[in-house]
This record gives sequence, structure tokens and C-alpha cells, in this order.
Amino acid sequence: MSTPARSLAVTMPLVALLAATSSTSGQRPPQPFQVGTPFPTLSLPSLDDGRPASIADFRGRKLILHIFASW
Amino acid sequence: MPGWHHATKALQEDGSIQMVGIIQEQHPDRARLFMQWKEMGWPILVDSYDLLEVPYVPISLAIDEAGVIRKVLPAMRENGSVGDDFMVETFGASTPDGATSPPAARPDVGALYARARADGSPGAWKAYGDAIAVWGGAGRMDQAIEAYERVVEGEPDDGMAHFRLGVAFRKRYDSEGRREGDFQRAVDAWSSALDADPNQYIWRRRIQQYGPRLDKPYPFYDWVVTARQELQARGEEPAELIVEPRGSEFASPQREFVAGVGSATEPDPMGRVLRDDDEFIDAEAVAVPARVAPGDVTRLHFSFRPIARTKAHWNNEAEPMLLWLDPPEGWEVETRMYSQPLPPELVSLETRVIEAEVRAPEELGRGPVTIPGYALYYVCEDVNGVCMYRRQDVHAVVYPER
Repeated sequence: MSTPARSLAVTMPLVALLAATSSTSGQRPPQPFQVGTPFPTLSLPSLDDGRPASIADFRGRKLILHIFASW
Repeated sequence: MPGWHHATKALQEDGSIQMVGIIQEQHPDRARLFMQWKEMGWPILVDSYDLLEVPYVPISLAIDEAGVIRKVLPAMRENGSVGDDFMVETFGASTPDGATSPPAARPDVGALYARARADGSPGAWKAYGDAIAVWGGAGRMDQAIEAYERVVEGEPDDGMAHFRLGVAFRKRYDSEGRREGDFQRAVDAWSSALDADPNQYIWRRRIQQYGPRLDKPYPFYDWVVTARQELQARGEEPAELIVEPRGSEFASPQREFVAGVGSATEPDPMGRVLRDDDEFIDAEAVAVPARVAPGDVTRLHFSFRPIARTKAHWNNEAEPMLLWLDPPEGWEVETRMYSQPLPPELVSLETRVIEAEVRAPEELGRGPVTIPGYALYYVCEDVNGVCMYRRQDVHAVVYPER
């Protein structure tokens, strides 16, 4: 994910995987989040100190949220 | 994701935008190193169990002051930029609504346990399992595993519960509370999850992380090497990793399995080296995946751990540790002999893992297949300093796909 090549690699196998499944051939994976709906406010541990944190902690700010992995 | 970080740097600095991350990763500390390397100092929430139930990553979202999703953002290339009207285009005319949300908090684990006990439904056990898995710490993995096992028993098609069970097994494997079979059970749980939904990309990634090179889209953690070098060159101490990536986690993809036997001769053909029957070194074999179709490749992880009870340690003064594989008729390997270089210290206590890939024959029976081998190593006792050359017979078990 750290390089443009890696970003491409992230999407390629997904496309290949879906293409290999006849019933879902050509479909994009469904987008799990709908525009206009609130983002879930569940509490998760913070990477810094393990304390509970939530997207709701940032109410009042405009956010860009990345859901990702380092692989 | 570094692309969006760089493209919006000015907007972050003037306070217009706050960046936040949620990571879907078995080992969250690796994300810490990644963030340090990319100089991204924003808050990260950890979601190893995928409580958000996202089917893939990465996902980038613009969220307004009221916590409402305003836009699903496309991928941003590393040197990309945003236009002057980015804020208006992305967030529209959103304004703070003044509303507040309850502060983030740990769930009431005790109450969830009482409810699961009283109610007994898979849903109630899952809620308790999620709470104890995420908030109970490494010492409570037994309870998390037990809870998720109850869920999959009641709801065998609940892929998410299988996935979380696998995450919990692997977390226990990486902890002091490790039990024999934990890693294999993690892999098997992830396989069951994929049986329930083959399109779940995050579940597939967990198996690919440890699986054969033919299934790999790219090396997963090769960036760790570069990150450490660059951080050291910057004069920074790289964030420590609790579990060091290795073997399959670094391995490059492979297009074709090249079978061979190598030129090495069998090191102990007559079986004359004295056996270590789990007295000094604890050996374990894990197949990733454990179930194979005819012609499939699986990756075997043979791990060897000095046993604290007998106060054993590795001796590194002599030749490298060896693993010899003796696959059954029709099963192919790239080589039969594997050699493990020794660390520079004279004695050490590390867990050694030797990984080998095997290909199933085109004609595959119905029963489990044992792939035998043995390891040869030098081990010493702490107490009276006696060092020995020992052989330990090992075997991996692979099952034909149902």
C-alpha cells in the first residue's frame, strides 16, 4: 500500500477474485458505507494507548477516515 | 492512504481537516511502524476483529462535523493533490450540529457475560466474545475463544464469527498463554470463514499472510525492511514489533510451483541420532491452508521452541539446523532439505520456524495425509551445560478439500 504499484496490487486480486466467481462476475464489491448515513460510533482501542476511542470523539471536525492495513 | 495524507497536508495544518485511521490488522503494532515511517501522526483505532464488518480495505471516507458520511473518496496517488474547492465539493455546506455523542467507553463485559449465560443465543455469545476479545487483553483469549466457539456451534454459517475465532486463536498463539494447535486452529477458522463467504477480502488476506506463494498478490511485509532502514537513516528508532514478520509474510509471489528434490543427501537415513521427544524443544507443524484440492500447494510451518520447563536453549556454535522432509508418494516439494542459519550469539532461546511448500497430487484420496520429516539441531541444558545433537521427528497433516 505504500507505493502506487502496491495500491494497484491491492485492487487487482479483488477484481480477479470476483471475476473467478461466476455468480458475481463483473460486480464491484458492495460499498459497505452509504453516503448520508452516520458512521458507526462503536468504541475501539486506540493504537496509542489502548484506551477506548470512537469516530464520535471527533464530532465537530471534518474528517478523512482511512480504513486500512499496512500489508 | 499516504496519498490523501500528503494531498491534504495544508488542510490538516490549518485545522480544516482531521485525519483518522482504523486498521484491520492481526498485529496492530505493525501499523505503528508504518505510520512512523510515513510520518503520519494522526489517531488510529484498532479493529483486528473487524467489528466494523468491512469486506475489504482500503476505504477512505469524508465524514462531516455531525459524524455523517459525506463522500466515499477514491484512491489518491502518492504525489496527488486536491483542488481549491475540495472542501466544498467533499463536505458541501455542512456545519456543526452542536450535538454530542456519548464518550467512547469499554463495554460492560460482566453484563454481556451474564446476558450470554442467561440467553444462550449465538448473538449474545458473539456480543460477549467481541467485548472480551477486544477489551479483555491477551490474558482473556481463552474466554473469547470459548465464546466464539459457541457462536459457530450455533451458527455454523456465521463467517464473521469464524473469522473472529481465527483472530483470537492467532492472538493466543502470539501470547504467553499459547496452546498447542492454536495457529492451525486460527488458519482452519479463517478457512471456514471463507467457506461461508469467499468474497470477503480481509478474511482471505489472513490466510494469504501465512499461505503459499502461489496465492500471494504481493509480499505483505517487505516494507518493514525499507521502513527500518529509512527510519534509522533519519536518526529515528523504529517502533518495536511485538511479533516479527517472517517467512511467508515476506515471501514474494510465485507464478509456478517448481518441484524438485534437491541434491542434498538425507542427513540421518538410518535414524541413528538420538531423539528429542519434546524434552528440550517443542515442535509444532501447521499447514496453511490445511485443506487442499488436487494439485494445490500448501505452506507448512514447522516451529521449534526451547522448552522453559527443562531449561533448554539452542547452541549456535556448530552447523545450521536442518529439516528433512519425506513427502508421501505423489506429493511434491521444492527441496527435501531445509537449512536454518543460526543467530550470531553462542546460545539463544528464539522460536525457529522453517517453512516449506508442498503440492498435492492430482489424485487425492479422501483421508488426511501425513507429511513426515525430521529436524536436527544442537540444544543444551542450562543446568549442567550439557549440549546434545538431537533429532526430532515432525509431521504436518493435510486434508483433502471437502
